[in-house]
Amino acid sequence: MKTLLDFECVSFSFGQRQVIHCANLRIESRTCTALIGPNGGGKTTLLRLAAGLLRPSSGRMLFRGAELGDLSRRDVARRIALVPQHLEIPFLFTVQQIVEQGRTPYIGMWGGLKARDRKAIERAIELTSIGSLRNRIYNELSGGERQRVKIALGLAQEPELLLLDEPTQSLDFGRLMELMALIRMLHREGIDILAAVHDLALIQHTFSSVILINSLEPLLIGSPEDVLRPDILERAFQCPGPTFNFEPDVHPRRELAL
Amino acid sequence: MPLPSIAAWLTHTRPLSEVERVVLMEIRLPRIIAAAMVGAALSAAGLLFQGLFRNPLADPYVIGSSGGAVLGATVGMVLLPQVTWLGFSAIALLAFAGSVATIAVVYSLARVGGTTQVVTLLLAGFAVSTMLSYSSYFVEVLDRDYGFGLRVLASWLQGSIGVPRWSQLGAAALLLLLSLIASAMLARRLNTLALGDEYAQQLGIHVESVRIGIILVGSLLAAVAVSLGGLIGFVGLIIPHLGRLISGPDHVRLLPITVLTGAAFLVLTDTLARTIVAPSELPVGILMAFVGGPFFLYLLRRTKRGYGS
Repeated sequence: MKTLLDFECVSFSFGQRQVIHCANLRIESRTCTALIGPNGGGKTTLLRLAAGLLRPSSGRMLFRGAELGDLSRRDVARRIALVPQHLEIPFLFTVQQIVEQGRTPYIGMWGGLKARDRKAIERAIELTSIGSLRNRIYNELSGGERQRVKIALGLAQEPELLLLDEPTQSLDFGRLMELMALIRMLHREGIDILAAVHDLALIQHTFSSVILINSLEPLLIGSPEDVLRPDILERAFQCPGPTFNFEPDVHPRRELAL
Repeated sequence: MPLPSIAAWLTHTRPLSEVERVVLMEIRLPRIIAAAMVGAALSAAGLLFQGLFRNPLADPYVIGSSGGAVLGATVGMVLLPQVTWLGFSAIALLAFAGSVATIAVVYSLARVGGTTQVVTLLLAGFAVSTMLSYSSYFVEVLDRDYGFGLRVLASWLQGSIGVPRWSQLGAAALLLLLSLIASAMLARRLNTLALGDEYAQQLGIHVESVRIGIILVGSLLAAVAVSLGGLIGFVGLIIPHLGRLISGPDHVRLLPITVLTGAAFLVLTDTLARTIVAPSELPVGILMAFVGGPFFLYLLRRTKRGYGS
């Protein structure tokens, strides 16, 4: 397997406060990784680092073997997309207009959308099944619909790596299941995924590996079975950890013993 | 000047008398062109600033860039009336500098953690533009008492489109054209900037340089407008809003529509201001305040929910 993302003792601080302390992390290609950890543990910061939006205070970050800091912004934008938690838009843009913005790294100052761009936009809209929302105003959509539009915007960048920051936030159960199905489908389409997830029960059946980040301890990475262990979770979240049964069953019981 | 005689002249049925010719060519036409240019410049500047602040309440008057330009120009008139540099008068250059400096200050005051809080923006803009306007009034008072011979200042501070010389119009037209071309280059970037600074950066945009570009071009537009019409408020606020109602928020389409609407709108209001209390004349800035103030309040009320802090 080829290495997709490689963090070598990456640290990051906001002013005096060190958020990430010498994180070592290696994500292989063709993985679907969940990023978990307590609030304020550095999940969002790690994603922003991986998207090249923040520069580490020390350490090296490699994307497919190339130093992330050496790639041009535009280059990074064509290969890595970050879907943020919140996307607030001040004007009444339609869904179509928003998704078109995903092509920004491919078009110059004067150029308009070309056939290739239109194809990528259509594909992003199709994958996220938001065709019926196309002409709706983004600000008037529901939380679940917005989540899909945000993912479509990221997909329009045609990234190799899609970073999702808490994509499940404020989704009802039905929308949650739809989103998980979408993530699995994108993964099958060959897009590598790294998603910050709050709800640990969602991890099995969708994610193939898990990163636990916690400002107090070194970063932990492994299969869901390895990481989602009561003792580990209890220590990280400072509360009795939930128990997950890992069964080879297609319809496993999920026991949340809290 | 009656329309039938212009129509007759245009259709070659009757030539203009000498008086009519002078009135048309030296008074009416330059003023109409100036009004159109002021309208276009203020509207385009409003659109740019709204994109920069990601807020539909920004406009050159509200955020103080017009005030900065007026003060710059006032200082130029008093201290360096005759100085020119590269063909531009020190007055025009100082107007531009005043506008740039003001926006830089208001922008850095109003941006907190990557977002513009509406309240901070309005307060910062209000405070800065009030200081600037009253500084200009101060110079105007000095002028009245000690007589620098700048009778133009008073009407300027109320916002009034005078009768410019053709040479003055030419220079302003050149600057306007250049800054509109630059605005067109920024239009697509404004769409991306609407997603937020960090998102725009994520999409490969050099947000800092785009911001600086917007500030420079917007200030140039504000300086052009101020040099022809002084301190006219609310045009840059109303017209982009009207434009969005016509074409939606996509800046690539919105910019030309805003520019044309702004030009037409100011020609109309200036004509009204000129004739409404004839034979006296109302500064167009006063008329705009009557029209624009309530509209601004309406917008503020309506957008409170959607764009609030």
